[in-house]
Amino acid sequence: MLFRNKMELKPQVSDTPSQHQQQQKQEQREKHFHVLAVDDSETDRKILEKILSVSSCQVTCVDSGDKALEYLGLVDANHQDSASPSQSERSQEDGLKVNLIMTDYCMPGMTGYDLLKRVKGSSWKEVPVVIMSSENEPSRINKCLEGGAEDFLLKPVQLSDVKKLQPRLLKSFDQSCTNLPDIDPMTTDNSKSNNNATKRKALSPEPSERRPKMKELTVL
Amino acid sequence: MEVVQMQRRFAEYTASLFREGFLDAQFTQLQQLQDETNPDFVEEVVSLFFEDSEKLVNNLAKTLDQQNFDYKKVDALVHQLKGSSASIGAQRVKNVCVAFRQFCEDQNVEACLGCLQQVKQECFLVKNKLETLFRMEQQIVAAGGSIPVMEYN
Repeated sequence: MLFRNKMELKPQVSDTPSQHQQQQKQEQREKHFHVLAVDDSETDRKILEKILSVSSCQVTCVDSGDKALEYLGLVDANHQDSASPSQSERSQEDGLKVNLIMTDYCMPGMTGYDLLKRVKGSSWKEVPVVIMSSENEPSRINKCLEGGAEDFLLKPVQLSDVKKLQPRLLKSFDQSCTNLPDIDPMTTDNSKSNNNATKRKALSPEPSERRPKMKELTVL
Repeated sequence: MEVVQMQRRFAEYTASLFREGFLDAQFTQLQQLQDETNPDFVEEVVSLFFEDSEKLVNNLAKTLDQQNFDYKKVDALVHQLKGSSASIGAQRVKNVCVAFRQFCEDQNVEACLGCLQQVKQECFLVKNKLETLFRMEQQIVAAGGSIPVMEYN
């Protein structure tokens, strides 16, 4: 039997130079990698927030697409569309950084897909948007990917799903961190339009990879 | 009771919950996310779920009680319950929801009412089981012991 001690202290790890660099990088990420999580379920928000903070991300949770748009400055508190892009640009200039948006698909009012389209049509369009859904529907998945989603995750989302995303997202994030910190991480990436076609090919097999996980679950 | 005995009881009880299908691997995921910075994480999430499910079940009961209720509305509520039960690993609740949604699609009111009763029952059962589990954990910790980690994946 293994033991989970609630009072356990983290073991000391001796610092070699490369480990020190890794730790610095990690700390930088911890301060900067900001995820906006959108889900109408309080239970799911709490779990996602935990998964993301365990993965060293800064997390902001909102319970609807409308609240997400408000947060990004794309709509004002009266739910009027910002007359010009200036409000969201101002938010970004003021230093509001969002490095990733993770949104549930099925939400009352604005769906995750609607939110995706709004974000992609705005000054936040370079921010990757990941859509989560409990339904493994190929047409839905394709619609989201075609709409510009970075990835599509099946719920319930697990720590391993986020870990799989990280290398791809953190690569361009780290590049921007070592360059000018004020530039939006995504604009320094090599032209996204080139990547879209290959990205879609790479991504579309992934949702079906969720299936094998089910086999694991039945081995009890 | 000695700590070792408590730990053994806890391990056996946990195993039975998985064996009987009350919990699935998603619950283990939650346990693995819990750490010293948030030692009550699992209990907090489970609490949220039961608050949520109570509201949803009440809403379902009210809706199904109406003369000409909208199956779409019922389906939407069950979909929510299915989602959150899946998120915490409450497998039996989730399974009833799957059947429930099918009966909504079939527009079978009797079967829907049956599912409502079933889902109430399953929520009640898993709530009691988890409360017992958390109590056992507290007793072990209070006696200075550690919580056994169940390897089910």
